[in-house]
Amino acid sequence: MDTLFYSLLLQLSSIAAGIFFTEKKKSSAASHILLLAGLITGFIAALTALINSDFTLKDIQMFGISNNLFRFDALGLYFLCIIQLVAIPTTIYSYSYLKHYIEKGKSVRSNLVFYAVLLVSTQLVVVANHAIFFLVCWEVMSTSAYLGMNFEKGKKEVQTGSFYYLVMSHVVVFLLYIFFFLLHNQTNSWLFSDFHLLSGTGDLFIVLYALSLIAFGMKAGFMPFHFWLPRAHPIAPTVFSAFLSGIIIKTGIYGILRTFQFLNPAPEWLGWLVLAVGMISAVYGVWYALAQHDIKSLLAYHSVENIGIIGIGIGIGFIGSAYHSIPIQILGFGGALLHTLNHAIFKSLLFVGSGVIYQNLGTRNIEQMGGLVHYGKYFVVLFLIGSIAISGIPPFNGFISEFIIYNGFFTTAKELENYYPLLMLISAVGLAFVGGLAVACFTKINSIMFLGKERKEVKHFKISFYEYLSLGIFALLCIVIGFYPQPFIGVVNKVLIDGFVPAAPSSSLLNINWQLLSIIFITVIAGIILIYLWKKSIQKKYGRRISTAWGCGYEGLNPRMQYTASSYADELNEISKSVLGYHKKVIAQNDIFPAKGSFESHSDDLVDKKILLPVFKSFSEFIARIKFLSYTDIRYYIAFILIIITIYSLIAFLWS
Amino acid sequence: MELTSILQGIISLVLILGLSPLFVGLVNKQKAIFTGRIGASLLQPYYELMKLIKKETINATSSSFISAVTPMINFIAVVIAAAMLPISFAHPLISFEGDIILFAYMLGLARFFQVLAAMDIGSSFEGMGAAREATFAVFAEPIFFFTVGSIAFISGFTSIYDIYHSIRLDNLSFVVFIIVCSISVFILAVTECSRMPVDDPNTHLELTMIHEVMILDNSGIDLFLYQYSSYIKLFIYVILEASFFYPFAVQSYTLGIIIFLVVIFILSAALAAVETITSRFKMKNIPHYLLFATAIGILNLLIYTFTR
Repeated sequence: MDTLFYSLLLQLSSIAAGIFFTEKKKSSAASHILLLAGLITGFIAALTALINSDFTLKDIQMFGISNNLFRFDALGLYFLCIIQLVAIPTTIYSYSYLKHYIEKGKSVRSNLVFYAVLLVSTQLVVVANHAIFFLVCWEVMSTSAYLGMNFEKGKKEVQTGSFYYLVMSHVVVFLLYIFFFLLHNQTNSWLFSDFHLLSGTGDLFIVLYALSLIAFGMKAGFMPFHFWLPRAHPIAPTVFSAFLSGIIIKTGIYGILRTFQFLNPAPEWLGWLVLAVGMISAVYGVWYALAQHDIKSLLAYHSVENIGIIGIGIGIGFIGSAYHSIPIQILGFGGALLHTLNHAIFKSLLFVGSGVIYQNLGTRNIEQMGGLVHYGKYFVVLFLIGSIAISGIPPFNGFISEFIIYNGFFTTAKELENYYPLLMLISAVGLAFVGGLAVACFTKINSIMFLGKERKEVKHFKISFYEYLSLGIFALLCIVIGFYPQPFIGVVNKVLIDGFVPAAPSSSLLNINWQLLSIIFITVIAGIILIYLWKKSIQKKYGRRISTAWGCGYEGLNPRMQYTASSYADELNEISKSVLGYHKKVIAQNDIFPAKGSFESHSDDLVDKKILLPVFKSFSEFIARIKFLSYTDIRYYIAFILIIITIYSLIAFLWS
Repeated sequence: MELTSILQGIISLVLILGLSPLFVGLVNKQKAIFTGRIGASLLQPYYELMKLIKKETINATSSSFISAVTPMINFIAVVIAAAMLPISFAHPLISFEGDIILFAYMLGLARFFQVLAAMDIGSSFEGMGAAREATFAVFAEPIFFFTVGSIAFISGFTSIYDIYHSIRLDNLSFVVFIIVCSISVFILAVTECSRMPVDDPNTHLELTMIHEVMILDNSGIDLFLYQYSSYIKLFIYVILEASFFYPFAVQSYTLGIIIFLVVIFILSAALAAVETITSRFKMKNIPHYLLFATAIGILNLLIYTFTR
């Protein structure tokens, strides 16, 4: 693992390159090249270690000495690979993204520095073995993400959004401190490799799980704690929002899985809790997404949905561990792990795509877009691949991981019998419902943004080579995992056998008929090509022409008469409008000569508007009320200190 | 898989693809008889399909490559789904553990592109149809899982072929369960295939259509592919329905085929009857109709679980 160390050094050196080159363009190029070189070498090193090493024998060491700071087990390496794999195309995009700002004369130095720090600290988080080291890396990761978010700090929404993120991060860190201190008290060690408690520990076991699930769940964005995602993502620079959604929220998943390694087997009710929370996140994440008009906050809510799907997988795994059933654990955790990788890929693709659109059109409101397919056909194809994949539709990668989770449902029903088939059926129906909503949501954004006629004049729509390259790599990964999942399944299986179910290696993940699935998908493509050839020959014979669309004889159709995103989603939003906070405002005059009217629709986040803001408000009112205690005279303060010390001493005295 | 079962699968698939227009002809003929007309020949749908191939293809001005690829993707996805269905006791061409999920998601792929292609025209008519299709699909998806899926969870089989052949008639509560399931599947078929109480295939007003309005601006070979795949899709749901009755055949091929044909005839009569005597629902009532089918499914499942 020495290579990994050097690769991290290489990445850090990009900071120096970013700072010392005086010319902006050169400094950006130099630091991106260094970052990329570091990431690629690191990725190769981590991947070969993950594939080749036999984790059962010994831990992989750095510089031949066993040090306590790092530990390269399968789970850590798996997440390390995801981070590096996704960071490579994101970094390629970052170069092109910053070029726009450099051309405008804006300084990008801060962005370069924080991005490199963020990358390095995130990689360290997943291989850290010492709890304190982990917390330090975690803190650096959160803070650098916050600082990077503040790129356009002049804007009011940027300040509030990033502040939400900062507060959330600190609540998380505070909970994690308690979590690790409690673990340290129990095991007398700071090392992850020594943390292991059995479920007989009683109440503490539950307290630890609660702390971990709240803290890491908040980072991951599970439903009641998702409030920061739709605030932070839209305002962050695209590179950061792609990395935040693709990777940073996955560190929450990493934390939950680590916790499971410390504390297993998990009690069964916990499995159900995680499953239910995951289901609620998935359903309402996508439903909220449907009500959004801002492309980035829409994608942020979709992260909540996908994290929910990962949570469903983890819940199944927990239930399996409570019953000591290896196939259930393999399928549940396997689905969650693969979906983590898949979501990192297609969500980054979609975020990078949204960034490209934003830079060309200068707006994030999808109601003002339209007809972009006539400007960038290949760009639309790439974005479409990501959309199909995230909706879980075959033949791309999203389907593969959802398929594993469905298999987890089936296996749980089969193995545990009793009333489990009913519960698992309801979960399967929930996941299918989520799939249906995701289809509605992604057909909405694709068709409103790209298809039809342009609602607002498109002045220029240019996509640079680097943007194509970055999107292309992501799309290629979606396709490869979809059509040929075996190697990825193999890696996931290895991670599971090393870290989760060390007992007997089970092959329930490998036994799924992946080969037949690949053959079917290839048949689909071959069939499309065959029909295409036939269609071309028919069209040659009988002709093809372009003509205006049917308008019932009305000639004056204009782009504003097209279906809009609000009208497309209205019927679905109306159904759960109380939860979505969905409301419409119509101003229309129904006179004989109608005046100008207007229409708007909004959706307010329930947790944000109804719970958090009132709580904060009442808290600040409380603070205002006890403000009379703050005097200008120092003698009062000395009196307060004396009183407090007396109380403390009395407590200490009475306690012993 | 041995050669005979592959052969069986291919024959089943060819049968499904070949007979699906005939089923539509059968429904139309009976509908004509019910309303006191003579009606077109049973083979009319075939003639119409042949006619469509020979027509010029016209694409709308603002349409893109989506309009060009969707008919093909739609068709292939439906054919793949059809290849997973058993006719009598013949092994389907595609059959593996968990193919029920692939079945549902293949139809999802078809729907995804169908909706995109409708929005590709940039006209409000198509947009309206697309929005309705996407909305109703959200409610239709759970019905499939509460019927065919519930048998999968009860029996422990996850391949459509095995699921249907695990149905045993020796348990009375299971028989009742299956019968109620078949009612839900009928409602699902009506919704997914845009038949009467949900959508009127013969309406003449764009604002009231769902499926027809989405393919309003297609012609020639594109329309051929759309129409043919919608025929196949209807036939797929008919087979899903007919398969519930295979257990009566007690593992006999010929009896299975006879049951298949009889059920198809009964279903076509039922569809024709429903389409003759009912009118289309108001659009805002359709979700209620679908939730009704879902509710039946849940209730049925609960009753079965507790009376087992």
